[in-house]
Amino acid sequence: MTKRENNLIRNPVFPPRRGTFRAWGRSGQTKLTLLPWLIPALFLSAWIAASETGLIPTYLLPHPLEVGRAGYNYIFGKVGDASFAGRFLGDASASLIRVGTGFGVAVIFGIPLGILSGRLSVVQRLMGTTVNALRAVPGISWLPLALVWFGIGMKTTVFLVALAAFFPIYLNAAAGARQINPLLLQAGAMMGVKRLRGTFAILLPGSMPHMMTGLRLGLGIAWAYLVLGELTGVPNGLGAVIMDARMLGRIDIIVVGIIIIAIMGRLGDQLLTISLRFCFKSARRTS
Amino acid sequence: MRPKLTAISKTDPGTRKTILEINKLRKVFSVNGSFLTVLDCIDFSVKSGEMICILGRSGCGKSTLLKMLAGFLTPSSGEILLNGKPVSDPGTDRCVVFQEDTLFPWLTVQENIAFGLRGRNKDKKGIRKEVDRFLALVGLTEFRDYLPREISGGMKQRVALARVLILKPQILFMDEPFASLDAQTREEMQNLLLSLWEKLSHTIIFVTHDVNEAITLSDRILVMSKNPGRIREDIHVNLARPRKLEKEEFIFFSRKLYEHLCD
Repeated sequence: MTKRENNLIRNPVFPPRRGTFRAWGRSGQTKLTLLPWLIPALFLSAWIAASETGLIPTYLLPHPLEVGRAGYNYIFGKVGDASFAGRFLGDASASLIRVGTGFGVAVIFGIPLGILSGRLSVVQRLMGTTVNALRAVPGISWLPLALVWFGIGMKTTVFLVALAAFFPIYLNAAAGARQINPLLLQAGAMMGVKRLRGTFAILLPGSMPHMMTGLRLGLGIAWAYLVLGELTGVPNGLGAVIMDARMLGRIDIIVVGIIIIAIMGRLGDQLLTISLRFCFKSARRTS
Repeated sequence: MRPKLTAISKTDPGTRKTILEINKLRKVFSVNGSFLTVLDCIDFSVKSGEMICILGRSGCGKSTLLKMLAGFLTPSSGEILLNGKPVSDPGTDRCVVFQEDTLFPWLTVQENIAFGLRGRNKDKKGIRKEVDRFLALVGLTEFRDYLPREISGGMKQRVALARVLILKPQILFMDEPFASLDAQTREEMQNLLLSLWEKLSHTIIFVTHDVNEAITLSDRILVMSKNPGRIREDIHVNLARPRKLEKEEFIFFSRKLYEHLCD
């Protein structure tokens, strides 16, 4: 037997089996379109099973069908048919406007300040301590103060959302600007790039992967603080619905509210990623 | 404008005009309170169209010298004159090809090459034409839409070369640009550089630690010594081109130079 054959027997080479699970890392070819639905499906089946067998009493968690009916009514029902019927459009748009405004304010402050403090040590020295101190304060402790300052409603919610979303956006933009390869900036300088073009043609695209992470984290947190801001007694909004439902003992509507927020949060994240990729080459090609 | 196709190296070196003058250049770094003289008494001048190699072992300050010439570092004393004017900031008249990959990863090959031109007020058509020409010159026309991460190290250096040549710099600095390539690719790149030099007649200062590379490429070799870095010798390479590694005169020259470098 030759050495090679011997080796082949000890370490046989198998052809890659088809249909094996290759989801680790980024697999371009394998289609795993159903995989993301696995955990929700398991969750739902467990819920159904628990409800059918009576393991969980309905006053703690209603049957999925009941929740589905409540959800259908909430979204498609006519206003006045039942409590909560048809409120969805008004609530969702009110919440979206609050999240959008708060997130927008956070972006307007977070990105420029972050980039500046990533590049200029003066700004970093100036902002670093304050930002890290404020970051440690839980959002909920701002709530009483915000209520005193802005009253109940839009302003308080937007304030909380903007404050919470600011930190991840700022910190990631700063990290992105800090980690840029200085040789890229030198190369730019030698190709005649002045400060303004350097910012938009090198600094921002170079920080894009980090900035994108910050924006996505910020948007996620924005949803969390939206509900917090709306729990305080505003008339409309998804958080307000959950609060109203609790008062009225409508567990089904609470669950509906939670599911809708989850879905909108997920869609928002996807929309953010897609629109960033659509607008910026650097988002398309480097992250 | 068509490129000049006459090889400038055929004219007598004596009649060419001096483009770069370096007088008494000195660089001192302060490290933990003590001073370290990295470069001292650097004096030389470069004529238009010359290909000069700065040859030295690692740590002799050759990269520092190049950074000062390019304007990334300011000298502690002495002066650098380009066409009689002192050099201070980096600029498109003195371009650098770095050893590392410094392409913009979010731009394709052709966008990287067009980057410098797009800062100048030029119409899109003109830029496109220039980019096409330089893509062809470095042999990357088919790879124009690739991203830097999708091409090999040698190709990246071709892009790096094209993106500065397109700016028509007065003088081109190359900081060990082929050091991280494999032997075959390196030879290929050296040949490419020589053919571009013939076609476009640039003035080039090429930093290397590779004796054979220095002999293959240059008209003149400046040998540097260490601690502090000085120019120890200014050697004219009078071998006929193309220079082949296996020729006897090449080997002889190489051995002599190597001895100079070592003692």
